[in-house]
Amino acid sequence: MHRYEYTLMNALKGGKPIGIAELLSETGMKREELLWAVENLLHRNAVEAERTETESVELTAEGQSYIAEMMPEENLLKKASVGKLSVSSLKSKEERIGFQWAKKKGLAEISNGIITLTHEGEKAIKSGTEEGNALRSIGKKPESYFSLIESEKQTVLNLMGRGLITIKKKREISWVKATPKGLAELSEERQADRIDALDKGMISSGSWQGREFKPYGIDLNVERSNAAVRHPVRLLSRKLKNSYLSMGFIQSTGPIIEPAFWVFDSLFVPQDHPARDLQDTFYLSNPGKISISGEESAEMIAKAHIESWGGEWSKAEAEQALLRTHTTNISVRNIRKVLSERHEDTGSGGLPAKFFSIGRVFRNENIDYRHLADFYQHEGIVISRNLTLSNLFHIMISIYRPLGLELRFKPAYFPFVEPGVEFYAYSEKTKELIEMGGAGIIRNEITGVPRKNITVLAWGSGLERILLLNDSSIKSVAELYNGGIGWLRNRRMI
Amino acid sequence: MPVITFNREYLFGLLPKGTTPESVRETSYKMGFETERITEKEVSIEITPNRPDLYSAIGFARAYKNFEHKSKRLKYELQDASPEFSITIGKEAAAVRPFIAGIVAHGISLSGEALPDLINFSEKLSETYGRSRKKIAIGLHDLSKMEPPLHYNAYEDEKYIPLNEKKERLFSDVLKGSEKGLKYGHILRGTGRYPALKDRSGVISLIPILNSERTRVTNKTKNLFVDITGMYREPVEKTADMMASIFEDMGASVRPVSIIYSGSERLTPSLEKRYLSIPLSMAESEIGISVGYNNIISLANKAGYEAALVGNEVRFRVPEYRMDVINEQDIVEDIAIAYGYDFINPLPVASSQAGSLLQAESNFETLSEEMLGMGFSEAVNTYLTNESLNFAGMRINDISSYLASEKIGCITLKNSKSASLTMMRTWLLPSLLRNLGSSVHESMPQRLFELDMAFAERRKKISEEYHLAAVSAGPKANLNEIKSVLEEISYLADMQFKARESEHGSFIKGRCAEIILHGAPIGIFGELHPEVLHNFGIEEPVCAFEINLDLMYDEEKTASSKSVRKKNSGN
Repeated sequence: MHRYEYTLMNALKGGKPIGIAELLSETGMKREELLWAVENLLHRNAVEAERTETESVELTAEGQSYIAEMMPEENLLKKASVGKLSVSSLKSKEERIGFQWAKKKGLAEISNGIITLTHEGEKAIKSGTEEGNALRSIGKKPESYFSLIESEKQTVLNLMGRGLITIKKKREISWVKATPKGLAELSEERQADRIDALDKGMISSGSWQGREFKPYGIDLNVERSNAAVRHPVRLLSRKLKNSYLSMGFIQSTGPIIEPAFWVFDSLFVPQDHPARDLQDTFYLSNPGKISISGEESAEMIAKAHIESWGGEWSKAEAEQALLRTHTTNISVRNIRKVLSERHEDTGSGGLPAKFFSIGRVFRNENIDYRHLADFYQHEGIVISRNLTLSNLFHIMISIYRPLGLELRFKPAYFPFVEPGVEFYAYSEKTKELIEMGGAGIIRNEITGVPRKNITVLAWGSGLERILLLNDSSIKSVAELYNGGIGWLRNRRMI
Repeated sequence: MPVITFNREYLFGLLPKGTTPESVRETSYKMGFETERITEKEVSIEITPNRPDLYSAIGFARAYKNFEHKSKRLKYELQDASPEFSITIGKEAAAVRPFIAGIVAHGISLSGEALPDLINFSEKLSETYGRSRKKIAIGLHDLSKMEPPLHYNAYEDEKYIPLNEKKERLFSDVLKGSEKGLKYGHILRGTGRYPALKDRSGVISLIPILNSERTRVTNKTKNLFVDITGMYREPVEKTADMMASIFEDMGASVRPVSIIYSGSERLTPSLEKRYLSIPLSMAESEIGISVGYNNIISLANKAGYEAALVGNEVRFRVPEYRMDVINEQDIVEDIAIAYGYDFINPLPVASSQAGSLLQAESNFETLSEEMLGMGFSEAVNTYLTNESLNFAGMRINDISSYLASEKIGCITLKNSKSASLTMMRTWLLPSLLRNLGSSVHESMPQRLFELDMAFAERRKKISEEYHLAAVSAGPKANLNEIKSVLEEISYLADMQFKARESEHGSFIKGRCAEIILHGAPIGIFGELHPEVLHNFGIEEPVCAFEINLDLMYDEEKTASSKSVRKKNSGN
């Protein structure tokens, strides 16, 4: 008798039926071990058992997608309620599906080719359609299916009919009882006196000698042991740090909450530039402003803005508190620091100065299951004399090559660099080429020093897109954060 | 970034013979522009915002041909520099919208796609570079229907027949009751006046909103007048130069207009010559290439510059239509693009400096490894959150008294698009509980830690601080389990953590304590309240701790400097 079978039979030796939960706690066995033993014993009639059938509900992939983006008919109703929507203007498959369902459910009608909402449709816009509500409720709490099938049977059946939910039936053992044949087998086994678990006493006394060990079932499926793992974003940032360190870069950090001055003005982004819009940038209500009085570079920056962009430069605008939209605020602070420490020194002491940083940046996005508003960015600068665009390309290639990515460079425009570069990365693993980030030589208006004395190379890029490019099992940036331990346990650490 | 959609037939008619969609993609990429799509009817290209001169098919084709060395069109000059007529600016305009420029183009052909392209160009330019007409607005008029000279001023409310209408309407009515009025009317808000351009018969444009029906431009218009208005002189006049170059390329003959303001006179467009000189070595050394004197001229032409050698320097004539060439740096970039980024050889930077990590970073790595060693997986969560997650879900209902007791303030967002993002998180435990709530079906125990930032206002200053938090969920989770984790951290870090019984809404009473270091609280631990677990959809007991690492290191530092002082004074 196998040791799991033996343990189980010992628990059943009273001859009474015992439930699975009780057996699990009494024997200390894992569920799969216990069930394995039950199946073996049943097979040779050593136990009898009762099986019951239970139901559970699951959302299909389509059902899942409607939870994230509403039912197609709900989307259609919303669209039709905003402006005139004609049947002929419905282009996508989803819109047509939505329209058919809305019509079928009496939520919408057609008059003269225009889709109009019925009274029911108007109601559905406010409080959702019956099927939509049922689906969302099941999605949130699968158990709610059991009460819904009572109260709104037809709606739930419709969801099934539309292939949005499926019912999984599971046969489970509810109790087990030893048969006389099993009890006989147990007493025989006891007399055989085989060793179950080896213990300290047996090893020191040698009492195991001359006895047999109960065999294990090697074919038994066991769960994998869950390692405590690092987060993929941290693993990637460690690789990036190694790249930077190996090239002699010094890690740097800086504020996330900044006045607009460091995030925009110091980078020569005009005060009326669309990137500064409320649309894209998170401004703060507390603190609403951060003073830049005493900031030595403010005067120089104001002058550069007025000369190059025309018009006025407002200090109040520059003092608005916001969440940085890039980590370039750190770079520009480093440029100020290095250049102010050098004073009139035109020699090459302390140069090249190389800094990198990895940190969070923010975009005012509408968040959903695919989109987030905070991201990671890595960024670096080199400050020295006689640096060239070709040096910039070399550094960028050296950072990305250890990640298995090849780069291609394209001219681009950013207000704070000239020349400007956009770089694309190609992954051998996924055979994809995607836009990675921006780079360039920092404008003199920002350094305040002519190029013949000082050149500053700079670049920055998102971290998440590197992960997406290298690991096709990650579908969207949003799944990287705020997820459960299940997501982490299912990563391959490659 | 602006995506410009050209009519395919019109654009390809302007490009060199034999141009294919593939070559448009490739050449645009080399010039720095991404082609979004080419369909049977349209070509859509993403043009960077520094190059509004490429928003018209005419301007794009000019740059394309120069870049491909297919034809040279490097300079624009006025054939007849005498003004066609004058625009007098009235005194009231100064306070509302002070600057205006005018252009006259005789013998223009606007048939076929030419007019739609021109309208498209001026709309896109006013929208992007013109900041939705605030900084720049453009009006097109049929000159043959006008009676110059013109007057530009800010007037009281009056009537005219707006474009596409038959009846007269008041300015105020156009602002309140027309599409353009509703879209751009806010630009005039609070001025109490209406900027308008008038000829001898009356209003030809309510600026920057809507032209008059009388001067409507059609595809039969042969003589065109354009007005450009704005808040600053330079952008207005440069836009006039840019448009003049387009009209020249369309085969029209451009005449300037005289702008008169309080006795002084300026001509627009001026197409004034502007030169920038750069030593060859400067271009070569900034890009990292070697091209020589002969090639630099050809690269300059490719980029649209007329160039000549003057002594040791190369003298570049800045194209009259370029508004983005501020100084030498901009020319160096154009040379680099003309040379081709693909041909620039990567060269290493020589340096023997050693790299280094931040001190905090190595401490954090050590702590993270300890947590991993104790079986906690690493979570990374977003910094943005909302009151209900950060407080209410954690059973903190009286937020203001909680904040007072913690002596912190919240960093709050002013303009979030998402209702679920209203503030920066003040602690990490809510994030970790959300993680647990989203994986209730995974096997137990579940242990997670997070070492990352939280945000608060402390003593009226912004505090961007690092915290370490951990949760352990499972049937056996209890206070002692998490306390033993803390004991281990305290031992490994060689710090004397102490526990002081405490009360906290998120934890079960009698199963919660503050973590004390040298007498000061630096964190909290305990068993989470069942109501909190329920709020997060968690089905098993959870024990947890959170330490403010900034406070921890501060306390340790102060204490060790005190003990050093003590030692010294003891001597």
